Amino acid sequence: MKRREFLGRAGAGLLTLAPGLPRLPLPGRSAPWLLVPMDDAQSDHLKAYGLAYRLLERGGRAEWFLNYRGGAFLLPADGATSRDAALAGVTSEPLDDGRLVEVRGEIQNGNMDAVPLEKAPKVAVYAPPNAAPWDDAVTMALNYAGIKFEKIWDPQVVGQGLRSYDWLHLHHEDFTGQYSKFFLNYAGAPWLSEMVQQNRAMARSLGYPSVPAEKQAVALAIAQYVERGGFLFAMCTATETLDLALAAEDTDIAAAYADGSPMDPDATRKLRWDRALAFEGARLELSPTMPVYSDIDGHQVNSPDRRQPLGSFSLFNFSAKIDPVATMLVQNHRQIIPDFYGLTTSFTRSRLKPSVTILAEESGAPWVKYIHGERGQGTWTFFGGHDPEDPQHQIGDAPTDLSLHPHSPGYRLILNNVLFPAAKKKELKT
Amino acid sequence: MAPLRPVALLLFSLSLAALPERAGAQQAGMQRAFELERRGNYAAAVEAYRGLLARSPGDVTALLGLERVLLPLNRSGEIVPDLRAALAVDSSSAAIYGVALRTWGVVDQPDSMRAVAERWARMAPRDEAPYREWGAAALAARHRDAALQAYRLGRERLARDDVLAAEFAQLAVSDGDYPTAAREWLLAVRQLPGYRVTAVATLGHAPISKRGEILQILSGNLDFTARRLESELRVKWGDPMGGLAALEAGLPLAPQGQVIDALRGLVDQLRMQRTRDALLAQGRALEAIAGRLPRSQASRTRLEAAQAYSAAGEPEAARRMLSGLAEDRSTRGNVASGAASALLTVLIGEGKLDEATRRLAQLRPQLSGEEHAQLTHALVTAYIRKGELDRADSVLGRDSTIDGFALAGRIKLYRGDLKAAVESFRQAGPYAGDRTEATRRTLLLALLQPIEADTLERLGQALLRLEQGDTTRAVAELESVAGELAPAKGGAELRLLAGRLAAAQGDAALAERLYRDAASREAPATAPAAELALAELMVRARRASEAVAQLEHLILTYPESALVPQARRTLDVARGAVPQT
Repeated sequence: MKRREFLGRAGAGLLTLAPGLPRLPLPGRSAPWLLVPMDDAQSDHLKAYGLAYRLLERGGRAEWFLNYRGGAFLLPADGATSRDAALAGVTSEPLDDGRLVEVRGEIQNGNMDAVPLEKAPKVAVYAPPNAAPWDDAVTMALNYAGIKFEKIWDPQVVGQGLRSYDWLHLHHEDFTGQYSKFFLNYAGAPWLSEMVQQNRAMARSLGYPSVPAEKQAVALAIAQYVERGGFLFAMCTATETLDLALAAEDTDIAAAYADGSPMDPDATRKLRWDRALAFEGARLELSPTMPVYSDIDGHQVNSPDRRQPLGSFSLFNFSAKIDPVATMLVQNHRQIIPDFYGLTTSFTRSRLKPSVTILAEESGAPWVKYIHGERGQGTWTFFGGHDPEDPQHQIGDAPTDLSLHPHSPGYRLILNNVLFPAAKKKELKT
Repeated sequence: MAPLRPVALLLFSLSLAALPERAGAQQAGMQRAFELERRGNYAAAVEAYRGLLARSPGDVTALLGLERVLLPLNRSGEIVPDLRAALAVDSSSAAIYGVALRTWGVVDQPDSMRAVAERWARMAPRDEAPYREWGAAALAARHRDAALQAYRLGRERLARDDVLAAEFAQLAVSDGDYPTAAREWLLAVRQLPGYRVTAVATLGHAPISKRGEILQILSGNLDFTARRLESELRVKWGDPMGGLAALEAGLPLAPQGQVIDALRGLVDQLRMQRTRDALLAQGRALEAIAGRLPRSQASRTRLEAAQAYSAAGEPEAARRMLSGLAEDRSTRGNVASGAASALLTVLIGEGKLDEATRRLAQLRPQLSGEEHAQLTHALVTAYIRKGELDRADSVLGRDSTIDGFALAGRIKLYRGDLKAAVESFRQAGPYAGDRTEATRRTLLLALLQPIEADTLERLGQALLRLEQGDTTRAVAELESVAGELAPAKGGAELRLLAGRLAAAQGDAALAERLYRDAASREAPATAPAAELALAELMVRARRASEAVAQLEHLILTYPESALVPQARRTLDVARGAVPQT
């Protein structure tokens, strides 16, 4: 089951009288609940997500108190959870029934809501088999938080292997099949040669004439996964290239080095944006040597004359009771977060489809940072940039050690997405 | 014609008046273009430079600026019209020819490159530059063969073997043909000695299998340049004595005035290495320099040589260099005191402590108070290490400096007088000695704190063994003493220390046993540290699952311990949740 239907929750009185979680009184313990605060009282925000996830994995249930103390979690104070919290160094506060009633009252009276979390989503990360384990912000966040995931690549995606996963993450994959457009500038670099060789072999083995053709098939399979109810989260250049690949179903947008034929000079006009998830009307970058794809990215980090400096982005406030999905995705203890570069850093506002929900933007800038939308039965979320704690990330940089950034607000946004499919879904009203 | 004359004069004077104004406008325009370029606004800088070239097509500065700013825009080919205009007004400028060659290289027009190079070569028939720039532009366009052709043509036309030798050498290096590179670099360095640094840097990267051949080529040439190259390469490849020998063989051939310069260059190179051979070679080279200097100027170099010999473990040679220096009244003050210090250091290093004590008293007038104190402390430390604690105590005397208290604490500790040792360490405070010393003292205080006995001679002996470098016996004796103490009364702490020493020695099995013994619930102040040390040992041994269990036990059993954050960090490492650093 992907996008589970919400059970309607009763009103405040019922909430107060019957807490949503099974009460597990423990011998010798007066407080049957653990409140995991997610405001500045929390000693490790990132591991708190893992704590909640592992509880769900054990078959337990939790609640996510949206907008309450930074998006706190309510967990049963059973032995396993208490032990897990102690080991992970996650701050938790014992809560008795009386105090819980007070908390629920507070939630009922403010722009807050309590969302039940009931099933650990099965997580897949799209990555080539030899991908460095520390070159992907999501992989790092999942590893650090202790959330299990499986790596999948093109054969599984094209072969309908996505059906068994609730959540799919894409990072800096280039779905236009142009090797991140590094082909000419990094010619001879061992990592690039390996990437090219690996992708060509995969395209051949799957029966496609070129890497761009094969990646396009992968993009279509991912779009179908969302259509059928999957949760897609993409970062960095995967966001932009996924949509370009979808829009270019009948058009050659790849440089000659990738598929043997030059890009269609009229490609920009021929793109079919109705097939894309998030963007429309973008203009393609025609130079094969410029590691830039289109004007979807607002920052154009690899274009010397168009590169924009980094600022900071602000998270939107949503109504927790009316719009819990967007609220879940922006739970944080910080409202303003320093920006960070990626091959695709941000999304030009004028290139967004009208149906897109903006979750975070840089005030006054012509770009936004974090967006969300629906496609068929599923949803997608795009987050620009490569690594929230390495703003100027360069190829070959040392990996980010998240134990040095346990409060990272940027990484929290990633982990919000991981837990989001665990929530029982209410009807989206916006 | 007469009526035209005043008009012509008027026009001439108007043009003279306009000249400074035009020059000023050009200068202002250039400043603006530079500023745009500096700010990274390359597109605007292109227009600015173009504006200048429109007014003055032969302006080399503007043309070079345009070339620079077009490059990051990936529009280098657009310079062609400006270039043609520049060549039309000035066909003698080497800089313009250089731009032309690079441009034709960027737009991949080898025939045009050749034509420009030939035109330039006709204009400057004795010059290497046209061929050098042609080759460089071809290389930038990744046409290696065209570059080689350009260089060969230059060498043929100029009819000299050493023409463009540096360029040939660099090509050979990029091809991995190090023997050819060595021959060409030798030619290039003979022509222009400044190339030596680059030659050594590039040849230095030669794989081990090629080094013998390179050295053979160089040693087959008998001149000083070849000797010096060989010497520097030998040093770079870890053979300092061989490097010294090569240079010494070349010194009789060296041109007047280059001997000391070459020896000093070798010393500078050797200073980067701290091996015994490097220090010894440094000492010999410095001695050779000192021997070539007038006595009045040689004292500092002799001192440096002595210091190098001393560090190389050659006390005889060090003393030879110092002989007379320390007592020589004519030696300048700072050199004399340096020599005295060096001599005493040598004596202490040789273990001639009684002689050092006598010389220290004799040389007292040459030494500053600080130097005297430092040497006294070095002498006391040497006596302690020798196990002559009474002698150490006597040399130290009533030293009331913080370093003196620290040393007194060590003497008392090794005598087994724990109470007095703790008192002296407290008086020394945290600032005596360097950071390592201070940390060591703090650790010793922590070790002694739980022990109730005022004196424990066997513990003093065990720690003295450690000071003397006999770790194996120290570990055994520490464990033995620990057996007599309750875990909470120092037994666990001593086992933990012994475990750490065993781990540092590479005896993981012994370390593990000692850590497990130290991780006693009866010693809650020590057990978390012992458990953490045990887990870290397991992580290093790739026993991740055991380490995880150990760390979980630590965190859950001692949640209030200050080591819990570090234990969590190690837990992350053991689980693979963070990158290994």
